[in-house]
Amino acid sequence: MKSGFGLLARGAAAIVTALFLNAQALVPAHAAGVLREATIGEPPPLDVMVTTADVATVIGRHMFETLYAWDSSYTPQPMLADSDRVEDGGKTIIIKLREGVQFHNGKEMTAKDVVASMERWGKFGARGKLLMGSATSVEATGKYEVTLKLSAPNGAWKNLVSDVNGGLAIYPEEIASKATGQPIDQKDYIGTGPYKFKEWRPNRYVELEKFAGYKPRKEKGDGFAGARVANFDSIRFIPVPDVGTRVSGVQAGDYDYAEMISGDLYDGLSKDKSVQVQRTNAPIFGLFFMNSKEGILKDNFKLRRAIQTALDKSQALRVAFGPQDLWKAEGSIVPKGTPWYSTAGIEAYSPHDAKKAKELAKEAGYTGQPIRLLVSTNYQAHYDEAAVFTKQLAEAGINVQMNVVDWATLLKMRGQADQWDIFVTHHSFFPDPILFTFLNASYPGWWDTPEIQKLRTELVNSSDQTARKATWDKIQALIYEQVPVMKVGDAYTYDIASSKLKDLNPNGPAFWNVSTK
Amino acid sequence: MWSYALKRAGATAVTLWAASVIIFAFIHVIPGDPIYVLLGDTATPDQIDRLRHELGLDQPIVVQYLQWAGHALTGDLGRSIFFQAPVASVIADGAETSILLATMTMVWVVLIGVPIGTIAAVRHGTWLDQGLSGAAMFFASVPTFWVGLYLILIFAATLGWLPSSGYPSIFEGGLGNLRYLLLPSLTLAAPNAALILRLTRASMLDVAREDYVRTARAKGIRPWQVVRRHILRNALLTVVSAFGFTFAALMSEAVVTETVFALPGIGRLVVQSILRRDYPVIQGIILVIVVIYLIINLLVDLAYRLLDPRVELQ
Repeated sequence: MKSGFGLLARGAAAIVTALFLNAQALVPAHAAGVLREATIGEPPPLDVMVTTADVATVIGRHMFETLYAWDSSYTPQPMLADSDRVEDGGKTIIIKLREGVQFHNGKEMTAKDVVASMERWGKFGARGKLLMGSATSVEATGKYEVTLKLSAPNGAWKNLVSDVNGGLAIYPEEIASKATGQPIDQKDYIGTGPYKFKEWRPNRYVELEKFAGYKPRKEKGDGFAGARVANFDSIRFIPVPDVGTRVSGVQAGDYDYAEMISGDLYDGLSKDKSVQVQRTNAPIFGLFFMNSKEGILKDNFKLRRAIQTALDKSQALRVAFGPQDLWKAEGSIVPKGTPWYSTAGIEAYSPHDAKKAKELAKEAGYTGQPIRLLVSTNYQAHYDEAAVFTKQLAEAGINVQMNVVDWATLLKMRGQADQWDIFVTHHSFFPDPILFTFLNASYPGWWDTPEIQKLRTELVNSSDQTARKATWDKIQALIYEQVPVMKVGDAYTYDIASSKLKDLNPNGPAFWNVSTK
Repeated sequence: MWSYALKRAGATAVTLWAASVIIFAFIHVIPGDPIYVLLGDTATPDQIDRLRHELGLDQPIVVQYLQWAGHALTGDLGRSIFFQAPVASVIADGAETSILLATMTMVWVVLIGVPIGTIAAVRHGTWLDQGLSGAAMFFASVPTFWVGLYLILIFAATLGWLPSSGYPSIFEGGLGNLRYLLLPSLTLAAPNAALILRLTRASMLDVAREDYVRTARAKGIRPWQVVRRHILRNALLTVVSAFGFTFAALMSEAVVTETVFALPGIGRLVVQSILRRDYPVIQGIILVIVVIYLIINLLVDLAYRLLDPRVELQ
C-alpha cells in the first residue's frame, strides 16, 4: 500500500514539475500564422445555403462567396459578379461574372456553377424562395453570363444575393446539382473564398487554410466587399462556450479573437490595454411576436396596443444588455443612418403608461385572462426582456404567464398556434426590410391581414427605391397599429480581439485583410 | 471468480438493453427536434418537413428504435446530425479528454484526500482536525465554475504559466499537452478530494473502535503501524468503492468544468447534443456511459477481493 501510494505521489510531483517548467516555453505553442477565434459554440454543418445559424455563417463566409457583397455601409458591391443589367421593367436580370475565379478544387467558376447554385438555393435555400419563388427561368447565357427571368420585378434582388447566411453561396455545379435539403458533406465544402476547408474536429475546432489560388478583386477591401487578402496560413474556430473563458483566453494570449462578450464586462474591457473592443456596426433587435392565428391576441389589435402601451423598453434593454453604449431604445425598425430609417408610428413604441394601457385593455374587452408568453433561457437577453415586461404588464393589470423552455423546444412549440400567445426571439440587422421574418406570412406569428398583404406585394414588386421607402413607412405605421410584433430595441453586440491584430472588419468577424501588428 | 464474472456479464447485457429502450424513449419524448436547430430561425415549414423526411425522423418511433438498435448491435452507433461524422469517432475523441481528465483528477483526489483524511482521523477532535474538516467543507461547497475561473485568472491570464483553456490531443502534441488539463483537474479535484477526505476520516474513526485495533495497540505495535496496517487498510474498503463511482461520475458529469475550460470532453458533448437534439450522439454517449458504469461497478467488486481476501464473490 505504502509503496503504491508513494509511487503515485512521486510520479505526480514529477509530472507537475515538468509541466510547470515547460509551461513558459510551451504556452505559445500555436504555429505562427494561425489565427485562433473563440466562438460561442459548435456550429451546425457549414452548408450556408440551408442554415441561417450565425456561428456557421461566420465560418462559412471565409470559404464561400456570393455574387455581391455588402460594403461597410451595407450597400451591395460586386463580388463574384462583374456587372449587371436589368431589363424588361425589372423582370430580367443579366449578371456578368468575373472571369478567372477558381474553386478550391482548382476548377474555374462559370455560369453553369452559378445556375446550379441558384436552382439549389431556390429549392432548398433558407432564403431562396424570396427571389427564386418568382423566377420563371435561370439560364447560362454565356460562359460568364447568367440570365434570371422573374414573373414580377424584385426590388431587393441584389441584397438577397449579397450574404452567405441562408443565401446564394456559389458552389461548383457537380455539388450544387446533387445537393438536396440535407446539408452537404464536409468533403463538398468547396467554395471560391480566400480560405478553404481543412478539418473539423468535433468540439475542438474547425480549421480553414489559406487558398493559394485566390485572386482578390482590384477594389480596396471595405466591409465584406472589395479585395480579400488572406494574411494568415490558417484560421481555427474554437468553440469556447463560457464567456469568462473566452475573455481570459484572449487576455492570456490563447485566442486572438473572441465573439459575443457579455455587457457586464464591457466597461472593464474597454479600459484593458491587452484587448481591443470591437462593437458591431449592425444592431440586432429583440422581437415579441403576437399570435395572429389563434388565441386571445389573434385579431384583438386594441389589446395588443394596450400591451405595448404598458411597456418601458429602455428598462428591459438596460437589464438585458447593460451599459448604455450597447443598446438604443429605437422605435424605427431599421436603425438611423440607413435608407430605411422611419419615424412612422414610433410614438407608440414605448409609452410606459400603465393607466392608459388599463383603459385600452378594458375597451378591448380584456378581463384578466392569462396571456401565454413563450421564452427560452438559452438567450439570456430574451429571458431578461420577458421578465421585465411581465412585471410592467402586471402593473397595468395584464396577466402574463411566462412559459420558459429551452431553445429547441421553443422552435418547435412556436410552430403550434394553440401553444402560445406571444413568443420571444431576436432578429439580425438586414439592409432591406424584405427579409424581416414578420413580413413572412408563414413564419410563426402568421401576420397576414389584408392590409399587410397589399403592402407586402407593393414592397416586393417595386424596384423604385423612393416608392419602396414610402411603402415601408406605411408598413411600419401598420406594425404600430396592428402590433403583429413588438420591437424591444437595438442591441449592439461586441467582440474582443488581441491588441496585436489590426484592420479588423467593421461588419463583424471576417478575417481576410486582418493581420498582426 | 470466472463464473461470477460471466453471471455479471449476462446481467449487464439485460441492463444495457433496458437502458437502451429507456434512453431512446426519453430522448424522443423531449419536445423539439434537431431540424429546427439545424436550419436556424427562419426555416420554412416545408423546408423543415422535407429535411425531417430525408433524415428519417418522420418514421414511427418504434421503427426508428429498431433501426438504431440493429445498427448498434453491429457496433455502428450511427452518424451525428450536426458533426456529419460517425458517432463512435465523435465519442472516441471526447473520451480521450474525459479519461485523461478523470485520471488526473483521481490522482489529486487520492494524493490529497487519503493522507489528509488520515491525519484528520488520527488527530481527531484537535484544532488540526477541525481546520482540515472545515477546509474540506469549504471546497466541497464552492461551485466548480468559480474555482475554475479563478484558477484561469491567476495561472493563465495573470501569471501566464498555464494555458487558459482547450485541450489539443496528446497524440498530436505529445505528453506536454497534459498541462492543459492541470487546472481543470485541480478544479474538479477540489470538491471530490474534500469528499474523499471526509469519507476516509469517518471510516477510519469507525474502524479505530474495532476490537482488533485495541488488540493491536495492546500488543505494543507502534501507533503509526496500527494506523497504516490495521485502520487505514480496512477503512479503505469503503473509500475504494467511492473511488469507482467518483471516477465514473468524473467521466460523464464534468460538464461544468469542461465548459469553463472549453475541453472537448464527454460531459459537454452530452449537454450540447441534448440542447441540439442530436439524437444519435445522445443515444450513443449515454449507452457508452451506462457501459462504463457497469464495468466500473464490476471492477470495484473485484477490487474488494484484492483488498480483503475474506470477501466472497458470488
